[in-house]
Amino acid sequence: MSLPLCNSISPERAFASSRNFSDSKSHRLPYLHIQNSDPGDEELAEPPQQSLLFLIRGFWPMAGLLSYVIRRLLFMIPVFLAVSILTFLIANAAGSPIDIIKLGIRNLSKSQLAALNQFYHINDPITVRYFLWLSDFVHGNLGQSLYGGSVAAKIGPWVATTLELQLVALVMSLGIGIPIGIYSAKHQYSKTDVAVTSASIFGYSTPVFLIGVFMIIIFSIDLHWLPGNGAVSPYPPYWWGSYFADEVAHIIMPATALTLVSIAVYVRLIRANVLEVLRQDYILAARASGLKERTVTFKHALKNAVTPVVTVVGLTIAGSLAGAPATETVFAWPGLGYQFVQAALALDLPVVQGITMVITIVALIFILVTDLTYAFLDPRVRLS
Amino acid sequence: MSAPAGPSQKPTKRRSASQWAVAWRRFRRNKAALAGMVIVGFFVFLAVLGPTLAPYPARSFPCLYIGCTSLPPFQSWAHPLGTEPAGIDVYSEILQSTRNDLYVGLGATLISMAIGIAVGALAGFRKGFSGALLLGVTQLFFVLPVLIIILLFARIFVTLVAVGLGLTLILLILGVFGWPGIAFIVRGEVLRIRELEFVQAERAIGASNRRILFRHIVPNILSPLIVYATLLIAGNILTEVVISFLGFGDPNTATWGLLIQEGFAYPNLWWISVFPGLAVVFSVLGFNIMGDGLSDALNPRLRE
Repeated sequence: MSLPLCNSISPERAFASSRNFSDSKSHRLPYLHIQNSDPGDEELAEPPQQSLLFLIRGFWPMAGLLSYVIRRLLFMIPVFLAVSILTFLIANAAGSPIDIIKLGIRNLSKSQLAALNQFYHINDPITVRYFLWLSDFVHGNLGQSLYGGSVAAKIGPWVATTLELQLVALVMSLGIGIPIGIYSAKHQYSKTDVAVTSASIFGYSTPVFLIGVFMIIIFSIDLHWLPGNGAVSPYPPYWWGSYFADEVAHIIMPATALTLVSIAVYVRLIRANVLEVLRQDYILAARASGLKERTVTFKHALKNAVTPVVTVVGLTIAGSLAGAPATETVFAWPGLGYQFVQAALALDLPVVQGITMVITIVALIFILVTDLTYAFLDPRVRLS
Repeated sequence: MSAPAGPSQKPTKRRSASQWAVAWRRFRRNKAALAGMVIVGFFVFLAVLGPTLAPYPARSFPCLYIGCTSLPPFQSWAHPLGTEPAGIDVYSEILQSTRNDLYVGLGATLISMAIGIAVGALAGFRKGFSGALLLGVTQLFFVLPVLIIILLFARIFVTLVAVGLGLTLILLILGVFGWPGIAFIVRGEVLRIRELEFVQAERAIGASNRRILFRHIVPNILSPLIVYATLLIAGNILTEVVISFLGFGDPNTATWGLLIQEGFAYPNLWWISVFPGLAVVFSVLGFNIMGDGLSDALNPRLRE
């Protein structure tokens, strides 16, 4: 199918006319004169070298990427320092670590006190203690839990447990949310759309942990269908027969609770994006050229509508490490959030500080990865 | 207007509808937004009159010695929503909590607005280092794990440092951590409006930055601020519920989150956690719907 307008001027003729146009003397740009004055060097004419970056000129896009990543990593340093100072100050606002230990153990002997004084450098000013703590942290030593054990060794499994839950919930909510969002946008103002939109506002307004409480009351306490406590049964009478099935049974409720809420966010977002993309001219052109509606939706509109979701997904993962202390506590899911709450309630401040710092660093890395992915997917974004 | 306004005719006295009248007309047409406003109005009513209407004082145990503990709901007029094993009356406790939760939601939002407008205006007006520094601090707050830091703050300060402050302390913490969004809105508007010609003219006749801020910029950003503030109230209520549910708040103040926490300790007595939970969902829902409706009504680009 070709439009008559395109037939009247073929690309070759258009190109030829433009070449003639530029040959006419009055439209010649100044630099062409300079080039023509030395015809022997015409092939070698290049802009002057501004910096050493010309060494990697063949890889210009990557050089931009590299400097962007380096700048972002440099921005992380003040953020990291600010968070470390903040957590250190809050943790020390209540007094020195020994004051906290004294809350639990009243009858410390003189020699014990002296040993603790030396261990926590109590006699040094707080700035010195901060830098000692920071240097330990940078070297991978997050200190000792007040209840025994090294914090660094404990945190690893917690991160894994949290990410397991969050990734399952993310896959579920995207897998269900994207189709619902598209359907809702395609049938705007239909009964389904109105139902979906109202339900998503409900989901938007409900805290995840509250859904968790309701689910445990219904499915664990009343119906005895699913376990509502922990990530796996501690000893053999396993749910549904095997160890793996037991893990599946344990993850169903927390993952569903998280999904129900994040689905609301994704449906709203996808619906709004699809509606906006469908209004654009290139969709009109695609329809006018006789493509099937299904092709227009899934091949032309979908990619542009879903790309902004990448940002939200990345920020959700970045925030999810920290964002679910209440949810994890309700289900006693032994992840980072749950352990943070337990440590904070027990005033185990080394663990609390360690978790806060780890969450910050992982969140910063996820935000950076999100930005890069987005720039990769959306060619309009320039990393500069 | 129906009458053609020619130069020969007397100019009509009738003023065109003000911005707010137009917004109200558009808001009124939106059924969902009206429903949200009714819900919010209901909760504000409860917040004002709740403690007076409540049959028992806050955090009291009217059932402890007369044997009506763990009563299911809808069984007696004295305890319509049931009681806890410790003897707390759920209906009375929800009424007592409403004022506290709305107090935190509204108060924290007001503090955030004050800080956000100040920081955003400064970051917009000041060129050079101080503006860049303020912008950096604002961006810093966006990448912080805010909820974790709020929880840490609440735990340490409520239990160890400022014991007597209770709910006000949580209000202050939420307010101090909630302003970056507002600062960004204000800064963007300041940067835009600062270069407009009427502001340049005002500056030329010697107006101060403060006058420009309060006479020209604040009226211009009022509508996005109102929308953001409404949604922020909902968010603050949610965060307060999380804080007190986790046991990081003041155990002597009646809040919905505390009641949910107490109910969750007895999951088979479902009414203790479900009714305050519904109160949380509906109040937050009300603010959210109202915020959505306001953003539609106040958005000049959507005006027909």
